[in-house]
Amino acid sequence: MPENPFPETAPTTPARPLRLGVAGPVGVGKSSLIATVCRALAAELEIGVITNDIYTDEDARFLRSAGVLEPERIRAVETGACPHTAIRDDVTANLLAAEDLAADFAPLDVVIIESGGDNLTATFSPALVDAQIFVLDVAGGGDVARKGGPGIGRADLLVVNKTDLAPHVGVDVEQMVADASAAREGRAVIALSRTDEDSVAALRGWLLDVLASYRSGAHVAQDPGPMAPHFHADEDGVGVLHSHADGDHAHAHDHDDAVAR
Amino acid sequence: MNPTSAPPARPAPASVAMLLADARLPGGGHAHSASLEPALLGGLPAADVPAWMVGRATTVGLVEAGTAVVAARVLTSGPHGLDHDAALSTVERAWAARTPSRALRDASRLLGRGYLRVARSLWGPHPAVAAVAARATRSSSPPRAVVLGAVAAAAGLDAVDVVRLTVYDDAQTAASALLKLEPLDPLVPARWVLDACAAAEAHVGRVAACTTPDDIPSSGAPLTEGWAEAHALTNQRLFRA
Repeated sequence: MPENPFPETAPTTPARPLRLGVAGPVGVGKSSLIATVCRALAAELEIGVITNDIYTDEDARFLRSAGVLEPERIRAVETGACPHTAIRDDVTANLLAAEDLAADFAPLDVVIIESGGDNLTATFSPALVDAQIFVLDVAGGGDVARKGGPGIGRADLLVVNKTDLAPHVGVDVEQMVADASAAREGRAVIALSRTDEDSVAALRGWLLDVLASYRSGAHVAQDPGPMAPHFHADEDGVGVLHSHADGDHAHAHDHDDAVAR
Repeated sequence: MNPTSAPPARPAPASVAMLLADARLPGGGHAHSASLEPALLGGLPAADVPAWMVGRATTVGLVEAGTAVVAARVLTSGPHGLDHDAALSTVERAWAARTPSRALRDASRLLGRGYLRVARSLWGPHPAVAAVAARATRSSSPPRAVVLGAVAAAAGLDAVDVVRLTVYDDAQTAASALLKLEPLDPLVPARWVLDACAAAEAHVGRVAACTTPDDIPSSGAPLTEGWAEAHALTNQRLFRA
């Protein structure tokens, strides 16, 4: 493993709060999930939230009105109509906002950063977050989890949200979770409904586990991609050029190496 | 590989200028519109944008450029240390006096903070960058023009190139933001960028010759200041300023 190119997220320096990204397409319930997390953990953790709305500060206002955190702990940053850029190619605005929030409300345990709803390819840079949740919802269609992509495939946690709506939209939640688990090669998946206490408890437990791992220095930020087409030598020494966007990633190799070099 | 280790050879100043002018450099600039979104929200007709860009290039753009030029001069003269800090204070005050809108000053300091991350990462050990970095507080920073002055001092940029870089960056920022705000063939505003740069050429020599804070041009744009204040109060923004 080459040396970590993101020294600010190096596992040996957990002096600052855990930074947790929440990404996923528009309307899957990212803000609602954050409100759920805050409600479940506000009594035991000090939390701050940064939103990346595209056109307005509506997400920030929604979270403030949810009454789960002091309004001052929820801040919005502008993204110049490029929500994808703000969490990946140029994380400056979010990084500065996260630093300010951590300093203004020290000591914080977690800063949650909500991406502006973008598309299936938008994931956070490990220069910004230590861990990330990718959110889908059953109402978006049971086939979305099968379509894959960097967030679905390799985010630290995939949440299949709004499971309470499944009967109304004709989606088989178990099948959707099975598809997602297959696409993720065993990485964590939670089928969530804010009205299902067991699922909220599972989300809460996942976050506390990540936080403990981060504080112990064991957690290493992963980069889900997106990845450009790249080259692998196969067993016969013949090269294979492929892209992870085309869904042909049924092979095991260390994606982090490819990004870290 | 350590990305912050000093390279064996120095890049040409022109290469550094290209890096700084490239929107792909992650300094936080993509969330800014160089006052264009406030102008359009304030009622500027889209058809007037080319003239407005020329206006910026020959007024407020020169304030920024002159500030950067003088900051670089201050940082490359005499011994480093406390004297530089006092001199930088004077430069910042001169810039602030020529930038009456608090919203614009705040936006510029935010850009300066992002730019300072870039500067520390790429030229951190240089005394000029260290001197400006020492003036940053926890949540604020010298304005971007002052940070650019430090980079110019560290990288050996010529004063004329600092002026041209400032004007170009401002025009290209507005042109890029325009495509998010108005339907347009993306090649059309590229012409306007060149027109704005051309309009500034007549001023490049005089601004590049600025040596003291008093020399910094004081050409203002009151409508832009007013629009910026109104924009800062809205909650329907694509851009920070």
